[in-house]
Amino acid sequence: MTFNPLRILRDIFLRRNLLLQLVQRDVLLRYRGAMFGVLWIFLSPLLMLAIFAFVFGHVFQARWAQQTGGVPFWILLYAGLIAFNVFAETVSRSPTAVRGYPSYVKKIIFPVDILPLVPLGSALVHAGFNLLILLGALVWTGNLHSTIMLYPFLLVPMMLFSMGLAWFLAAWGVFLKDMTQIVPVFIQMLMFLSPVFYPVAAVPQKLQPIYLHNPLGAVIESCRAVVTGSPVPWAVWVQALLFAVAAFVVGYAFFQHSREEFADVL
Amino acid sequence: MCSDVMISVKNLTKTYRIFTRPHDRIKQFLSLGLKQYHREFTVLRDVSFDIKKGETVGIIGRNGSGKSTLLQLICGILKPTSGSVQVNGRISALLELGAGFNPEFTGRENVYFQGILLGFTEAQMNDRFDDIAAFADIGDFIDQPVRTYSSGMFMRLAFAVAVHVDPDILMIDEVLAVGDIYFQQKCFDFIYRLQSHGASIIVVSHNPYLIEGLCHRAALLYRGVLSDLLPAKEILARYHEMSQEELPPLPDIKEDCRVGTHELYFERVLIENVNRSIVTTVKSTEPLRIVAEVFAKRSMDNVRFRFGLCSSSNDLVTRIATIGISEKILFSGRHRISFTMNPCQLTSGWYYINASVDNKNVRLDTWQRATEFKVLLRDKAALNLSSDYGIFVCQGFWEIT
Repeated sequence: MTFNPLRILRDIFLRRNLLLQLVQRDVLLRYRGAMFGVLWIFLSPLLMLAIFAFVFGHVFQARWAQQTGGVPFWILLYAGLIAFNVFAETVSRSPTAVRGYPSYVKKIIFPVDILPLVPLGSALVHAGFNLLILLGALVWTGNLHSTIMLYPFLLVPMMLFSMGLAWFLAAWGVFLKDMTQIVPVFIQMLMFLSPVFYPVAAVPQKLQPIYLHNPLGAVIESCRAVVTGSPVPWAVWVQALLFAVAAFVVGYAFFQHSREEFADVL
Repeated sequence: MCSDVMISVKNLTKTYRIFTRPHDRIKQFLSLGLKQYHREFTVLRDVSFDIKKGETVGIIGRNGSGKSTLLQLICGILKPTSGSVQVNGRISALLELGAGFNPEFTGRENVYFQGILLGFTEAQMNDRFDDIAAFADIGDFIDQPVRTYSSGMFMRLAFAVAVHVDPDILMIDEVLAVGDIYFQQKCFDFIYRLQSHGASIIVVSHNPYLIEGLCHRAALLYRGVLSDLLPAKEILARYHEMSQEELPPLPDIKEDCRVGTHELYFERVLIENVNRSIVTTVKSTEPLRIVAEVFAKRSMDNVRFRFGLCSSSNDLVTRIATIGISEKILFSGRHRISFTMNPCQLTSGWYYINASVDNKNVRLDTWQRATEFKVLLRDKAALNLSSDYGIFVCQGFWEIT
């Protein structure tokens, strides 16, 4: 068993063909049979953004407490939500990532450790389309900054953290069916507790460190910074990266430790 | 390790932890091994064997004896509790019908996916796809979702993929039974081809003819303990003897399975040898006499007896009836009828006899497994007749010009 994060990443990279295939199946399967098919991958975020623009832009006339640049609130909200959704989609699906495929665990020779990464793959595909829509919205409202090129890169701690957590929860999900109920509730809570609908600056001073020094808050803040063109809080981001790497390794180790019993339980 | 050993299993033991309640598992995890919240159940005990390149090995055993666990351990799906498994080469395993197939996707998509699973690139699969489709022979269904397939089509596609990926080791767990005879023949042909290319094959099956026909060696798995690898015929005989001991006792006339009016019924069915003494074993070169002692409660004619001779795998070997012989005879009280096979000419193994008697299509009595007997290998002197395979020992003569 390896605890070197680069080795783990290399192992994943060596099986990229299989992983890509699984992600492709996962994404296609969601839209298969629907009349608009894969078009929904584009339509559903577009609809959501339109609703955001209507509700927050026109009905609530909402603004950030500390307004950053001229970027409308609904775009800021969307920018943070894209990052959060990568985490939310990956983690909330993780308890069934292995449990849902007993035949992969028991009946065929299969690298089970890549199963929890499949939701992340789909989440990234969706995030990609969301980003395109975000870009379109920024161009349309005339707020495009070149710093947005950094957005995907800034997501790295979020991805590593999600993977670590996904491995951990996928392993627990095999043993405990309750995880499939508990995790989505927590994710919902986290959506309101993380700085998606408000900036960290709006949080009481005392709580701000908690908000910043975790992969969720740091990445969401950083991602929003590149959208508005303001400086990225690199120190916080690097901290988040280190934290995420630790979670990544621990999650992987836990998964590898418990996978021996998967086939006995499923 | 010797280079021509493909699979080397050493002192393999597999123990499952059984938790009565789900939360015991959490307690176990939190107790860090200080306390036990589970029972242990050993499925495999100290199993060791080597399989060489090009060798085909059969594994036979009752349900729940650990056959599938053994295959899963060899595949690396399960981790051994102790001992080791060493495998040289690419394994292709058919442990369950179309496991890993996604029912929503088409046959074509699933074939490619299976290929990638085994480490092939898309280009390599393109080269193989036509062969696979031709072998599976399911026509246009290849582009239909797999969920629309019949189980036969499913199996054909799964088998076609498994054998077309150049496996060094092929494992088949009781899945061949689904196909029709034509497809089974095709599978055998392909397995022979793989054998001649030097692939090692492990077959798990209850079908003795399949084991006998395919395997060089076989082993018997009984309650987690594996016997030595011996010639298939010997293992099958041992397997049958073992199942024999665990069979329920022969049914009595009072029981429901003795269907009929019982106006005339079988008192005894037995086997006699050449000296007219009652035996349970006969040699295949010697005569075999099937004897039935019957009792008629009232006098009747038009009685017809039938005896079915079945092999241990429940295949009907032959059926003999007293057609044109017993109808005119008036039965009343005790009678004795016998049929002599001379010589018995069966291959070695266990056989049993089903007896039934009718009176103008009215069932008088039936008796399943009325008696059992064992046929032994022939005398050494008769070895040149034919080999001890199949159902009967053929007699005849050769002419070579």
